[in-house]
Amino acid sequence: MQPSRREYNIVVLGAGGVGKSCLTAQFVQNVWIESYDPTIEDSYRKVVDVDGKSCILEILDTAGTEQFKIYLKTGKYCLPYRLILEALLINGFLLVYSITSLTSFQELTPIRDAILRIKEVDDVPLVIVGNKSDLEGDRQVSKNRANHLSRKWGNVPLYESSARRRQNVDEVFFNLTRQLMKKHSGDGGAGAGSGGTAGGGRRKKGKSCIIL
Amino acid sequence: MSVTTMLAPSTRNSAASSTSSGFVPVSRQNTITSSEGAPRSVRASKRYSVTALYLSMSAQDRDLEIEDELARVQKTLRDLKSKISSQSKKNFVLEKDVRYLDSRIALLIQNRMALEEQNEVASHFDESSEIEGGTFPNDQKTQAYGNLFYLLQSEPRHIAALCRCVSMAEIDSLLQTVMFTIYGNQYESREEHLLLTMFQSVLSAQFETTPEYSSLLRANTPVSRMMTTYTRRGPGQSYLKVVLAKQINNLIEHKDLNLEINPLKVYEQMIKNVEEDTGALPANMPRSVSAEQAAENVQVQAIIEPRLTMLMEIANTFLATIIDNLDETPYGIRWICKQIRSLTRRKYPDAKDHIICTLIGGFFFLRFLNPAIVTPRSYMLIDSVPSEHPRRTLTLIAKMLQNLANKPSYAKEPYMARLAPFVANNKMRINKFLNDLCEVGDFYESLEMDNYVALSKKDLELNITLNEVYATHALLEKHSEELLSGRDTQHLRILLEELGAAPAQVPRKENRAIDLPLFSRWEGNIDDLSAALDITQEDVYFMEAKSIFVQLLRTLPATSAAARRPLNLRKIGDTATTMKDMGMFRKGMRGLELLNQLQEMGVITDQDNFQILREEIEQELVHLGSLKEKVMEETKKLEEVYKTIRDHNAYLVSQLETYKSYLHNVRSQSEGKQRNAGKQQKQQVLGPYKFTHQQLEKEGVIQKSNVPDNRRANIFFNITSPMPGTFVISLHYKGRNRGLLELDLKLDDLLEMQQNNHDELDLEYVQFNVPKVLALLNKRFARKKNW
Repeated sequence: MQPSRREYNIVVLGAGGVGKSCLTAQFVQNVWIESYDPTIEDSYRKVVDVDGKSCILEILDTAGTEQFKIYLKTGKYCLPYRLILEALLINGFLLVYSITSLTSFQELTPIRDAILRIKEVDDVPLVIVGNKSDLEGDRQVSKNRANHLSRKWGNVPLYESSARRRQNVDEVFFNLTRQLMKKHSGDGGAGAGSGGTAGGGRRKKGKSCIIL
Repeated sequence: MSVTTMLAPSTRNSAASSTSSGFVPVSRQNTITSSEGAPRSVRASKRYSVTALYLSMSAQDRDLEIEDELARVQKTLRDLKSKISSQSKKNFVLEKDVRYLDSRIALLIQNRMALEEQNEVASHFDESSEIEGGTFPNDQKTQAYGNLFYLLQSEPRHIAALCRCVSMAEIDSLLQTVMFTIYGNQYESREEHLLLTMFQSVLSAQFETTPEYSSLLRANTPVSRMMTTYTRRGPGQSYLKVVLAKQINNLIEHKDLNLEINPLKVYEQMIKNVEEDTGALPANMPRSVSAEQAAENVQVQAIIEPRLTMLMEIANTFLATIIDNLDETPYGIRWICKQIRSLTRRKYPDAKDHIICTLIGGFFFLRFLNPAIVTPRSYMLIDSVPSEHPRRTLTLIAKMLQNLANKPSYAKEPYMARLAPFVANNKMRINKFLNDLCEVGDFYESLEMDNYVALSKKDLELNITLNEVYATHALLEKHSEELLSGRDTQHLRILLEELGAAPAQVPRKENRAIDLPLFSRWEGNIDDLSAALDITQEDVYFMEAKSIFVQLLRTLPATSAAARRPLNLRKIGDTATTMKDMGMFRKGMRGLELLNQLQEMGVITDQDNFQILREEIEQELVHLGSLKEKVMEETKKLEEVYKTIRDHNAYLVSQLETYKSYLHNVRSQSEGKQRNAGKQQKQQVLGPYKFTHQQLEKEGVIQKSNVPDNRRANIFFNITSPMPGTFVISLHYKGRNRGLLELDLKLDDLLEMQQNNHDELDLEYVQFNVPKVLALLNKRFARKKNW
């Protein structure tokens, strides 16, 4: 076992039924989930080796079902309330839509807006994923349209994936990991949150702390 | 004589008031058809219809003339229901504002908001003020909109079609109008049933366009938004309270009960504990392990084992309460479940029963119960955000229930497989429950009835705001091409053409709530009610006679000779006609007249003292006797619901107040900086205000005190605000000049603490409760309100 591997927190976001869990389960456990099994909240840890470097991914898979998001979409933002707090700790984001659902594609922009505002940055490690690429016949979101969005966001990496056929699954996660490694290669260990210490500052009174 | 005119007086007199409790269409079958050899042969359903007609009319009757106990409790119940309906609409609007501000407050706190956005935020406070009453600019518009909204209300398919066209951005305001205004009368069966009809239409459209069942009801669509909004109406809220509030409150009391069963998290916590206790980690305990390694760790297993048992016990009590309260489940929710079942069967004839259950669970658990379990506070089930451990436990319980309703693939989180016994032991139970949920009657027949009744009424009204009218009109206009391409849309087309272009939204200050009279452009007052309902003149007379005599008996003093059994109907009528009360006199006359008419028709006969009618009247009175109990029981339940809704309203209002004063501070500070960097001290100092220990303890501001009991009387606090947003709290001991302790506080910090669910403010000797401190400061230091 290596002495200390970098740890990255990533979160999988997107509308209900686009395949966030299927994608994640394929990546982490190498399984295809056939059954109807909506997510409430799942978390995973996986050690990955990318470009000869090893690191740990803490993956939070979220509910797409809007009832679990305690915000109301009155404004431009729509992140689950809890994630607004957590967004500060999360290093990378997978924004998933289904190529068979235009509305799921349209839900991505407000999610990214919210992340950028909360993290107070112009840019954040992120990958756009158009899942269900095996259902070409039901396509509602053209590749062109998705490319346009990717360019608009500053050439954010975009993949069309099929969790069912395990196409582009690893690529999505590896791309995000590479972005994270690149971003954090400068700072020596403090930058990426290591899950265990996140709640460490709780004793301090009056100071902000993020409780997971 | 037309049926309408004949019926008109009886709507006032009808004694057979239903409790109009649930949305269960008339549960009591009239028994007259069972009397053998009756001269009339009436189909049961006809009789049923007439009863429904009377029941729904009387339920609507605003000024019942009867003045007995039953009438009084029924009136209380009706008032309560209308209060709940209007209050929940207010809350819905207020909630939108608070959530909007909730999402902004984090940004506000860090002073990251541009001035322009501050203005936008400020505009939300204006919107929370009450809307004045008013009338439409002109009569012609009133009439045209009255026609339009009558059509929209009575033919739900138009709104259903609209719901399918609108974007997710448009749906919220549409739903607000639809659920809280057009069908806002939450306890009126006609509006409820029309709303459900609209649901059905939207649901079946969704089934048609979804390629495979596994994607059904998964996406966030107008349908899912409708379901959420629907579950937030009065009946859904009271149900959640019944089945969840007690369980959840029990759970969150145990703040330190950690039931985490994810081996990785358990291992991390274990490492942390060891490190804190011993200052170092033993060599055999690496800081970071894989999920498999954590799961294999013997110590981790020992920690998890008892937690599994406890989780299953807790989940079992949740489940048992849910199953035991099948009958408490609101009719509308059950009816939606039923639609899901039948739509699935129709579209996928091969679907196995357990697949269907999965889909029902996809609505009932995923969209209704589980969100309330995971975020109980936003469903008004608890008062404060639960602390970390109970919150995680609630999430685990929700996951277990969802696993039960669906087919769990433990492929996702392998550790959840340890809870498989819970699923295995309860699978049969849950599938039976989900099927039982669907076992409710349809309402089409009574809806048809209700619609006829609505037509016969002259005072159908809708309380609606100008902006709601205009926004609905604008949406109809925008999507008119799609809407009018359907079948049978001629009426809608004519009305929209007449109305012309939709007016723009008026500014908040000019918005008015109006009472829009609704009436049909095409159907006049119904003259052919008996034909339409397939009932005969004699049925109508019989029902009217029955209702009049029941009412006379309720009004006559119980000691009156006429009230003695066996009943003598003529004597009752005669007694009434001798009374001074004109109403009684008229009813007595009408009753006697009806007896004669019915006898001539051969329906009843003097020879057996009008036995058939008499028996029915007696039965009705018995029924009414027990009805009072039921009405009172329901009233009690609804009073609780109303209280919850009002409490929630108070909470929302105070939340808005907090944000308001915060924003005020931010603005006055930044203004100060911009305008006169030199003259900082312009603001006057407020305070000090003095508070005793006892006082603050009583108000809950002090949540924990380390001051010995016998010293508490000598402790007091001074709070000063040297400038907006800054407070100094000092703790004093009587007789000493200098305070024992002084604490500088910024409103920002307090808000931030509240935002992070950090409730404790430590003053060494005492611990303050942050939300309570905020409330206190708001109350005491409110500076100018108009900003």
